[in-house]
Amino acid sequence: MLRSRMFWLAAVLLTTLASPSFAGVDAPQWDKVNNGFFSGKQLEDGPFIHITAPKRAASGAQVPFAFSIDYPSTRDDYIKNVTLVVPENPVPLTAVFHFTPDSGKVDIATRIRLEVDDYVHVVAETSDGRYFRNAVPIKASGGCGGSVGGDASEARKTAGQMKLAAVEPVQAGKPAQARLMIRHPMYTGLQRDLMTQGFRPAYYIKNLDIRFNDKPVLQADTYIGISEDPNFKFYFVPDKSGKLTVSAEDNEGKRYQHETSVTVQ
Amino acid sequence: MRFARIGTVLLGLAITVGAAQAAPLPVQERAPGVYVHQGSHRDFDDADYDGDIANIGFVVGEQAVAVIDTGGSYDIGLALKQAVEKATSLPIRYVINTHVHPDHILGNAAFVGDGVRFVGHAQLAAALYESQDTYLRDAPARADGKKNTIVLPTIKVSGQTTLDLGGRRLLLQSWPSAHTTTDLTVLDEQTQTLWTGDLLFTERTPSVDGDVKGWLKAMDTLEHKKRVSHLIPGHGSSPQDMAAAWGAQRHYLTALLTDIRKGIDAGQDMSEVMRHAAAHEKNKWQRFDVINPRNVNLLFPKMEWE
Repeated sequence: MLRSRMFWLAAVLLTTLASPSFAGVDAPQWDKVNNGFFSGKQLEDGPFIHITAPKRAASGAQVPFAFSIDYPSTRDDYIKNVTLVVPENPVPLTAVFHFTPDSGKVDIATRIRLEVDDYVHVVAETSDGRYFRNAVPIKASGGCGGSVGGDASEARKTAGQMKLAAVEPVQAGKPAQARLMIRHPMYTGLQRDLMTQGFRPAYYIKNLDIRFNDKPVLQADTYIGISEDPNFKFYFVPDKSGKLTVSAEDNEGKRYQHETSVTVQ
Repeated sequence: MRFARIGTVLLGLAITVGAAQAAPLPVQERAPGVYVHQGSHRDFDDADYDGDIANIGFVVGEQAVAVIDTGGSYDIGLALKQAVEKATSLPIRYVINTHVHPDHILGNAAFVGDGVRFVGHAQLAAALYESQDTYLRDAPARADGKKNTIVLPTIKVSGQTTLDLGGRRLLLQSWPSAHTTTDLTVLDEQTQTLWTGDLLFTERTPSVDGDVKGWLKAMDTLEHKKRVSHLIPGHGSSPQDMAAAWGAQRHYLTALLTDIRKGIDAGQDMSEVMRHAAAHEKNKWQRFDVINPRNVNLLFPKMEWE
């Protein structure tokens, strides 16, 4: 017992010494996330929430982040909402994804921002009102407040351009993967600007509404923790050939639309 | 074993701190009046990162000195200043920054004083201002305390300009987006020594923070400068065979671009491309496993829209 305690103490000491630049936290801040975003709810451990992310992100501004959830996707039992929280980010709430049985499965890949080393939390709400959580640590720096790069007026001109495609072959009644790319600078409001001696105002996509033949398959509320030029891989279930449509709105109220034809085999 | 490691780390810290405070930075006179301190190949993410990874130095004229890059912390800058004072009693008139990266500019603060002017690319002030929070937070703490600060250039170079050190001229050239958006090269006309900043890496994996196509274009021009007799790269040793050094870097950057493009065209995601892009270059470069994926991470999201 004592030996094992000593071992842990040594391990903690070593970790601390070996990473003096670790600016975030050493353990998932379950309570902070629970109290801050799910007050009064009971969050259960969700080992079936699988998270794919680098242990150390090469760039804090574009951290590849994916989650998939092993859970049914039927009319009366499915995952309704998934919330991403990065507690140490200036804006911890990163995105809330809304699914339907027509999503087919909960499996999203995107890119997020991390200002400092942190645990990224994924909280899933089921259609019967239970909450499950998981989290992974990622080392990263400067994703929210770092340099903007590029030409701001050019970024405004191209904002809202989209690319959208389903991965072929697409089969009726089976989950098909689609990929959405949106051009948008996603200014965080925390990026400095020498011209004004202040901060560049936040300018970001705040929601997405993706439908197949007008049935919602994925909706999302997005915040500045989603990286510049947002990028999403997601699933939907086509019953027949049709149109996949995206409507996105930014925080200045501008709406962008895009669609693509999907042919089932 | 474990405790021994703790001891080593602590001892390492103590030595670094002591050295940075007390002694002038070791420099070599590469050509008459041209002094260079060669940084190590540590990385920002290393536990023992001390800000001393870039090649920095100074050129001594007949009336004044120009410092070229100042290192990655106040302490490194101070040690470089002491090295200048050891080499000459002439005053420092200019501090030139070759680009925005923290390992080249955080020592600026040690040079602030009467008669010292800071010189950089026309875009440098804005870029430094944008990045200051991250740079300062991630700066090596060590003995610096709160002494690390950002010093912006007041002489802004677009195109070319010449600085006079008295009987010795430095030709400064700013570049369109290449390694960064703020690259500046410095040619000492007297000895034909070209300080490339990070437009040239030797040994250490080149890192990308600007536009690779622009960088390759800048290299075309730099490589064909006829009279250059010494190259001071931003990182790594000065090459004996200058053409080979440019060629090796061109090879890596071209492989990186080609492999990312192939990955995007094949519908691969960024993490997958990070694993294979330019992989056959791995044995030619130091810190490849850290820097190469970072390069992919920066380039991939932009190249998806090309």
